[in-house]
Amino acid sequence: MPPKAQFIREDGLYHSFCGLVSVGWLYQKIKDSFFLILGTHTCAHLLQNTLGVMIFARPRFAVSLLEEGDLSAAQPDIAEQIEEIKREHKPSVIFLLSSCTPEVMKVEFEGLAHSVSTPETPVLFVPASGLDFTFSQSEDSVLQALLPFCPEAPPEDKRVVFLGSVNDAIADDFMLEAQKLGIPVAGFLPSNHFHELPPIGPGTVIAPLQPFLPKVANLLVNERGATVLSSLFPFGPDGCRAFWEDLAAHFDLKVDLAEREAKAWERISEHTALLKDKKVFFAADTLLELPLARFARAAGANVLECSTPYINRRFHARELERLEGVRLVEQANFERQLRSMADEQPDLVISNIITANPLIGHGVVAKWGTEFIFSPIHGWAGVNMLVGLFTRAMRRRAKLDAFELEPVWTAGVMPSMPSGEFRL
Amino acid sequence: MRLAYWMYEGTAHHGVGRLMNSMRGVHAVFHAPQGDDYVTTIFTMLERTPGFPRMTTSVVSGTDLARGTIRLPETLKQVEAAHKPELIVVVASCSTILLQENLEITAQSAGLDCDVLIYDANPYRMQETDAADGLFSELVQKYACTQPLTPQPSVNILGPSSLGFHARHDLISLRRILKTLGVEVNVVAPWGATVDDLRRLPAAWLTIAPYRELGTRAASYLHEQFGTPALLEAPIGVQPTLRWLEALVEGLNARAAQASVTTQVSLPPLTAFSLDGLSAPSNVPWFARTADMESFAGKSAFIFGDATHTVGVTKFLADELGMPIVGAGTYLLKEADWVREQLAGYVKAEDFLATDEFQQVADRISELRPELVCGTQMERHTGRRHDLNVMVISPPTHIENHLLAYRPFLGFDGADVIADEVYTTCTLGMEKHLIDMFGDAGLDEVEQAQPVASNGHATSNSQAHVAVAQPTATATASSSASATATTSSATTVVNPVWTPEAEATLKKVPFFVRNKARNNIEKYARERGIATITAEVFLAGKEHLGA
Repeated sequence: MPPKAQFIREDGLYHSFCGLVSVGWLYQKIKDSFFLILGTHTCAHLLQNTLGVMIFARPRFAVSLLEEGDLSAAQPDIAEQIEEIKREHKPSVIFLLSSCTPEVMKVEFEGLAHSVSTPETPVLFVPASGLDFTFSQSEDSVLQALLPFCPEAPPEDKRVVFLGSVNDAIADDFMLEAQKLGIPVAGFLPSNHFHELPPIGPGTVIAPLQPFLPKVANLLVNERGATVLSSLFPFGPDGCRAFWEDLAAHFDLKVDLAEREAKAWERISEHTALLKDKKVFFAADTLLELPLARFARAAGANVLECSTPYINRRFHARELERLEGVRLVEQANFERQLRSMADEQPDLVISNIITANPLIGHGVVAKWGTEFIFSPIHGWAGVNMLVGLFTRAMRRRAKLDAFELEPVWTAGVMPSMPSGEFRL
Repeated sequence: MRLAYWMYEGTAHHGVGRLMNSMRGVHAVFHAPQGDDYVTTIFTMLERTPGFPRMTTSVVSGTDLARGTIRLPETLKQVEAAHKPELIVVVASCSTILLQENLEITAQSAGLDCDVLIYDANPYRMQETDAADGLFSELVQKYACTQPLTPQPSVNILGPSSLGFHARHDLISLRRILKTLGVEVNVVAPWGATVDDLRRLPAAWLTIAPYRELGTRAASYLHEQFGTPALLEAPIGVQPTLRWLEALVEGLNARAAQASVTTQVSLPPLTAFSLDGLSAPSNVPWFARTADMESFAGKSAFIFGDATHTVGVTKFLADELGMPIVGAGTYLLKEADWVREQLAGYVKAEDFLATDEFQQVADRISELRPELVCGTQMERHTGRRHDLNVMVISPPTHIENHLLAYRPFLGFDGADVIADEVYTTCTLGMEKHLIDMFGDAGLDEVEQAQPVASNGHATSNSQAHVAVAQPTATATASSSASATATTSSATTVVNPVWTPEAEATLKKVPFFVRNKARNNIEKYARERGIATITAEVFLAGKEHLGA
């Protein structure tokens, strides 16, 4: 047993979105799906403001709006809306997402989903409310809901299933890379279409591509007897090497990717030179923070702090090993983070979208963490993109800093801003 | 229950956030689950705030509910320690309001020195506009107290707020007008106001509250309670601005007479209101009469938005630009009667629309196909889908409404801005008309032209051949430099061939960078003497190029 990783747990008074935002990429990933959120005006307003929904007037997701009169009903009736969705969008599967208000109302979601589910168009309950889930976490719930629809693979079917939604280009990279190494691939969870879910059984090796899926990984072990790869997540040369070597080992393949890793580092040396010894502070909420901090550290940065909403000792075990000595914080307190930043003067803060501009306004070089979620940073092909996300903000700032941002240039921009508040 | 895809108004707590982020030295605390914090993003990203918006979400989690933990007192202590506000406004969310907790007692237990107001905003009965205006009125009632009038004629400007539609610009326009008149600004609120500023409100001679959505209730209260007359019209357009100016001067002088002050305000020559002090205060009256504008004679307009802007813009288009109005409406259902009344004589009863469901508005627009749609961001989208000309005249705002240059809607300056916007929006319509009539004029096909060029040396992919058929004419007709360059390079260099598999892989690259990716991979292959681009080569190239 390795020594138990040390981390601090604070009071969670930080800025974050709820699990509903996962819909933003999941509805695009699973192309024949529809996401129905049982929620309120707040949920609808959240989605249109965080996902830029107004660009797509009829996206494949909607909110079934609870209004005042609905609050007293024991169980809301969504049958008509399900019919409307089927009529207009013809989805193969409908995900019914919970939100805070129906959770407080104690709506019995399993029963509700079951009552409108048909064999032709299953309606699957997905817990996603902000009371329990943050940001990318509800992808975990979606994948758990999909699991019963993955065919059972016989024990002799020894292949890998990649876990977590990635775009098609990344999926192809992983397919080809696996082929090159001689690793047989059964598919991806989630797949692009509901009826293309991969077979999973006792011979399946689950290779997690995303670090925010511990529950479904656990379920795959318990319900299907699958094996979950315990390695680094495939971000950065160090992560990719460990990921593929460890995965190959599950198939009794001895693979040495030392040279490949060295070449990948060599290719981004211009970036790592810039990152070397730079003080980097992770204060984002995407749940990608642990592997990103591990990569930044391997790239030579001095990681001052890595805050992330949740740490899972088992699922993140290998990442935690490589982060030994770094201040790890779960459920951070934002005011404390600001004080730490003021004391330690980081060269780069990986923040969330909510706080990026104000941090920049306070003289910090901040990178919006959500960009890492929306960029192809996985695998060997993602290495340049990944490191570029770290260095771009620093490079740009270095150019712009020739022109000092005196308080006069932000005067009048923000009505609530007292004068003189510009440094942390 | 209904399916909601898009909302015009935000939530009650967003309204509270807007008000708190407008003021100085105050703070909003949302007693809510973490996701409700999304509203903070709207300020930091749309208004690009260099400071932290004055709001904190005191997180309520499922675990807290199960254990009976309530974090609110601790959050209040932290907010007071970190921000030292004079006032904290606490508001429940759509979910926590169902818990029926007594937040008064909970908040008291924090033992704060600053004022704490538990704002009773039921999110099922109140949305953004109502919540903001209601809270503002409540604060004005709480703090405004009797004051001696300022020695010089002065006004309050009530209404400009964070995330208000062109609010900063409107405020500049109003300040310019007042300065020209020699009238002082006593207090602007909520924009930039402190609690102390609210106390000073009754010192003004008159209150200006141009927005029906925020400030009129408070202005009426100041009138009733302190006798401060209120000017509630919105000076949108040249004629309304002139009438507004007269009413303002009259109101100030009446107040002077009432208070036995001898100072009088008089209207200077109108040129004094122009930017250089020498010209017409607005160019709209002449512009509207020019031959050029004859083309507008028959152009029809449809207007939809909040109350203030729908009314102001409809009248402006009809009265000052002479455009026929084929319909108008508002999503502010509580203001629908007022808007309808204001627009009597402009819009027939059956052409008036009061709804907060965007699909209904979209249906009406597609039915009418007006030559100009004035609306919110949602109508902009609808217009684009139906290939109609759209200008945004009303909140909710979008990042594109937070532009850098001075673009007010109020006053003489505002009239010019709106007229320019109408002109540029509709002129494009004329050009589009010509394009439709005489072909594409080489405007649309750049994106498709490039695949043609590379297709010439690509594959025997039958799908690709189909693509050649249509755009060829365009490619040859157009003298697009990029197309020419690509074609010539294609004839001089031996080009690698794409396997169908690699071609399929390329298809997965987003279309807007696909051609770039194709060129880069081909260059990569050429440099290495690779004749056939397989999926493997594609992957290696991609990795090498780091894209």
